[in-house]
Amino acid sequence: MTTIAQDHQQPFSAKFLQFYKDRTLLAILLSLFAVMFVYGIFFTDNYLTLTNFKAIIRDAALYGIMAIGLTFVTLSGNFFLLSLKETASICGVTFAMGMATGFGSPDLAGNFLVSLLAALAVGVVSGVIQGYFVGMGGNPIVVTLGGAGILYGIGAWWSDNLVINFTRPHDAEWLGTGSFLGLPSITWSFILIAIAGEIVLRHTNFGRKVYLVGANKAAGKATGHENFSMAIIVFTICSVCCAFVAVAFVAQMDSAQSNYFSAEFGSSGDMTILVIATVMVGGNSIMGGYGSTLRTSLGAIFIAMVDNMMVLQGFNSGPRIVGVGLMIVFSIIVFGLFAKGSRAQE
Amino acid sequence: MENFIKRITKDVDLSFAILLSFCVYVFFAFNIEVFFSHNISFAILERFAVLGLVGLALTICIIAGEIDLSIGSNAALCAVIVVKLTDPLGAPFAMLIGLSVSTLIGATQGFVIAFIRIRAIVITVGTLMLLRGVALLIAEEKTVMLTDFRVPDFITTKVLMYFSPASLTVIFIFICVGIFMRYTKYGREIYAIGGARKEALTAGIPLRRPMVIAFALSGFCAGFAGTVIGLKSGTAQGLGLQYLLLAGTVAAFVGGVSILGGKGGVLGAAIGALTVNFLNTGLVFYALQVHFVQLFTSVLLVIVIVFQTMSRVFDARQSRKSLLAIIDDRKTSLLEKKRSVLGK
Repeated sequence: MTTIAQDHQQPFSAKFLQFYKDRTLLAILLSLFAVMFVYGIFFTDNYLTLTNFKAIIRDAALYGIMAIGLTFVTLSGNFFLLSLKETASICGVTFAMGMATGFGSPDLAGNFLVSLLAALAVGVVSGVIQGYFVGMGGNPIVVTLGGAGILYGIGAWWSDNLVINFTRPHDAEWLGTGSFLGLPSITWSFILIAIAGEIVLRHTNFGRKVYLVGANKAAGKATGHENFSMAIIVFTICSVCCAFVAVAFVAQMDSAQSNYFSAEFGSSGDMTILVIATVMVGGNSIMGGYGSTLRTSLGAIFIAMVDNMMVLQGFNSGPRIVGVGLMIVFSIIVFGLFAKGSRAQE
Repeated sequence: MENFIKRITKDVDLSFAILLSFCVYVFFAFNIEVFFSHNISFAILERFAVLGLVGLALTICIIAGEIDLSIGSNAALCAVIVVKLTDPLGAPFAMLIGLSVSTLIGATQGFVIAFIRIRAIVITVGTLMLLRGVALLIAEEKTVMLTDFRVPDFITTKVLMYFSPASLTVIFIFICVGIFMRYTKYGREIYAIGGARKEALTAGIPLRRPMVIAFALSGFCAGFAGTVIGLKSGTAQGLGLQYLLLAGTVAAFVGGVSILGGKGGVLGAAIGALTVNFLNTGLVFYALQVHFVQLFTSVLLVIVIVFQTMSRVFDARQSRKSLLAIIDDRKTSLLEKKRSVLGK
């Protein structure tokens, strides 16, 4: 069994050596980047401390969770959603509305469970609708671009484009700012969701179907696994992940606004683009069928590490976005060259 | 002319686009008194100078079977460069530099896409972020401003009642690109790699040339849009202009391009851009907030997508039906033959 597998899949080191021989210039660039990265690790003050590492994972958690949801979409061959931040923002507004006003009934105001369920329900609805259009044969990019505008419009209209506040002692504090065994709750959620995603993808019927549909749509259709239901399910999973991130973020900030997740979120510009970039930096095939949530999580941590390093070196937001952008383009090119000649391309 | 009318009536998506733009225009013309006037027409054409270009950029990419997500960043970068260089070098020279930078960026993207053979959405997501960072870096994270706001006045002076130099140039670009796409070998190659890439490559069309041309054109158009916006307002921001992607996509899709590639044209892009312009200009009179404009634009996009998807599904069903009918015909004739043979 194993020998057959080894014949088919070259070990990574051999593949890398072959790559080095084939494309010396790119390999030199890759090595240069590795050297710079290692140099940065050892010569940035306060970088190699436990506190900083916790901060890195905490940063990575927010977009990592979204990216894990997006991995399902990408693996199933539906490219990606351009409506991630808008989904998150409308869910955040829903949650904050529930915490602040209880959707009109004062009894429910500040009820964590009701607000959480409402936010998740909004996520499910938006995911199902977008997935339906994509399953019908719409292009995911265009459908979600339209969906993004509509979701943002509704969110801003509902909240009147104001900041919705709710006061500090509230039921959601454990999720926003609380910690457990020295790690923030959001970090725990990231770890748990990453493990759950990995288990679902590797060891359940549904997970294998995701790979099948992504790797070969025609074969999936022929064996009765159509992209229609698959698109709806994966879009829902992704939107629910967005909703969860939004709830955690809003719980931490005690407030919500419709453009909380827009430009300059965190440090690297646009939340949507950052999440998509995370999936790609992890090395998942954008055509579907190849990748895992583990890769995505590592990609998220990697981006957070580089960004954190540049913050500690005292760079402004401009150079930082350039740095992360360069990293994305570079990793796309490297993974593209690795995959050249394999079935990953059309 | 007859040929032209035949072309429009034959193309369902294009006739739908014309109908849609007509409906939008008539709706606003009836509801707003001043909508049907010289000044508003001038304003619509002024907006067309920006949106039409972005729609054209996306149309060319989508015809080539790819989609360029980085046009917003490309436009912002060009705007920042032009506004920053106008003071020391003068407007024409600054425009030259900005446009060549944008075109070069587009061409590089096309080259990388064709060389590595990855999908454009993958690489343009990366360049979206990268170019935005570069624009921020060049603008030093500030809003860049002209010191003398009279310098760019030359692009907004009224000519011939409806036009300004900006919109005239854009119409000229439209005509040039239209002729290029329709009547030259290089333009037809772009259609070929979009409509049927495998067949085109097998027939000997190099992937690299049409891809580089398509993305260079798209980069040029995006850059020009950024230049017009930057010079008109006299300011530019590194993080600005991201809304162009949505508006441009709506314009392109209203104009009847197909996401599968190889379909659509410059005429459609113009009509699509005009439709979006009618909508945006009309909504101005209702004094709505920005997010409502975005909401209605998105609704327009969804309507068009639903129409396109439905017409595609309908077409597929029709062709399957006709195929089944042909098979049935053959079957009956064969059965008759068999019967006659057996009867003997």
